[in-house]
Amino acid sequence: MALSVMPLDPVLGHALAGATALVLLVGAAQKVRDWPGFRSALGAYRLLPEVLVTPAALALPAFETIAGFALFAPACRSAGALLALALLATVTGAVAINLARGRTDIDCGCGGAEGRQRLSWGLVARNAMLMAALVVGAQPTGPRPLGIFDFATLTFATLALYGLYACASQLLANRPRLVDLRNHA
Amino acid sequence: MNEALIVSNLVLWVVVLALLVAVFALARQVGILHERVAPMGALMMDHGPKVGTASPVFTLTDLAGRPVNIGAPSLSSTLLFFLSPTCPVCKKLLPIVKSTAASERRWLSIVLASDGDEVEQRKFIRRTGLEAFPYVLSTNLGVTYHVSKLPYAVLLDERGIVRAKGLVNSREQLESLFTAKDLGVASIQDFVDQRP
Repeated sequence: MALSVMPLDPVLGHALAGATALVLLVGAAQKVRDWPGFRSALGAYRLLPEVLVTPAALALPAFETIAGFALFAPACRSAGALLALALLATVTGAVAINLARGRTDIDCGCGGAEGRQRLSWGLVARNAMLMAALVVGAQPTGPRPLGIFDFATLTFATLALYGLYACASQLLANRPRLVDLRNHA
Repeated sequence: MNEALIVSNLVLWVVVLALLVAVFALARQVGILHERVAPMGALMMDHGPKVGTASPVFTLTDLAGRPVNIGAPSLSSTLLFFLSPTCPVCKKLLPIVKSTAASERRWLSIVLASDGDEVEQRKFIRRTGLEAFPYVLSTNLGVTYHVSKLPYAVLLDERGIVRAKGLVNSREQLESLFTAKDLGVASIQDFVDQRP
């Protein structure tokens, strides 16, 4: 990934990596908290043979956690980003296959605050944005030494990026319900 | 000057984060609102036996080997609840079905209906503690009632007449079937249409 013409400012790189790491870690925590729900959601994707659903439902949050922590540490950031990209590509592929099958009604299994989230192309777009953030965040950063003020920016920017992600997910979860409401009226 | 910029930048960050929290909270509240108001009653798909007509009679055997008569006159009303081990919303509704069975025991008996792999169904029954309910496997039953989405419920009165039916996703929607029977309207859509 040495495509970048100009090295990325370290604050940007750290913030992108930090926000994507937060997304992964929170996602993993939500999946573990409602594990039976996640397991049945994964089964509903109808992509894996029944015997593989339980191992996959265990492996996904485990890999998410590993990738999340790896992203936080600058030393193993590119490894973490690669793992996270592989995970995201897999789940996004699964969503896309079911969308192509026309099965938009199943639960996405994304877990968490937004409650039951149905499949949509918006979800695919959201994950594509996440993948882009991972790619950019894993670029080698410039050598600028960081001061105390940079760390403040870094923290705030990480939280703000995560906040944007959370808002986007919630709005994506609301959309089909709004459409339902319109169809019933 | 430099200090002023730093202060202003920090203040802006705090404001940005506070606004993000506010936007998220609003979006979340919109989501919760949708969940509460969304379909006011069980949504009825206009297929299969019509409300007010007699149900076709089915003589089936449940998974425990007991005979189950559906559509035949009986002592109590019957709630046919269509579900499947692979439907996540069904799992959410099972505790509601169980509590309804207990609270409406006087006038209502509940029959669970599904189809597909018997071994899988038996595992599902054990896992979710549904042994007390008659559980029938019949593709024909689902086809007759045109069940296309789960969980689906059909309410038959003691004479075997279809009183209400529809897709049920929540306790409110399940109870709306009972209300529909009491009020003598077919569905919430009908109810809304009848009002001036």
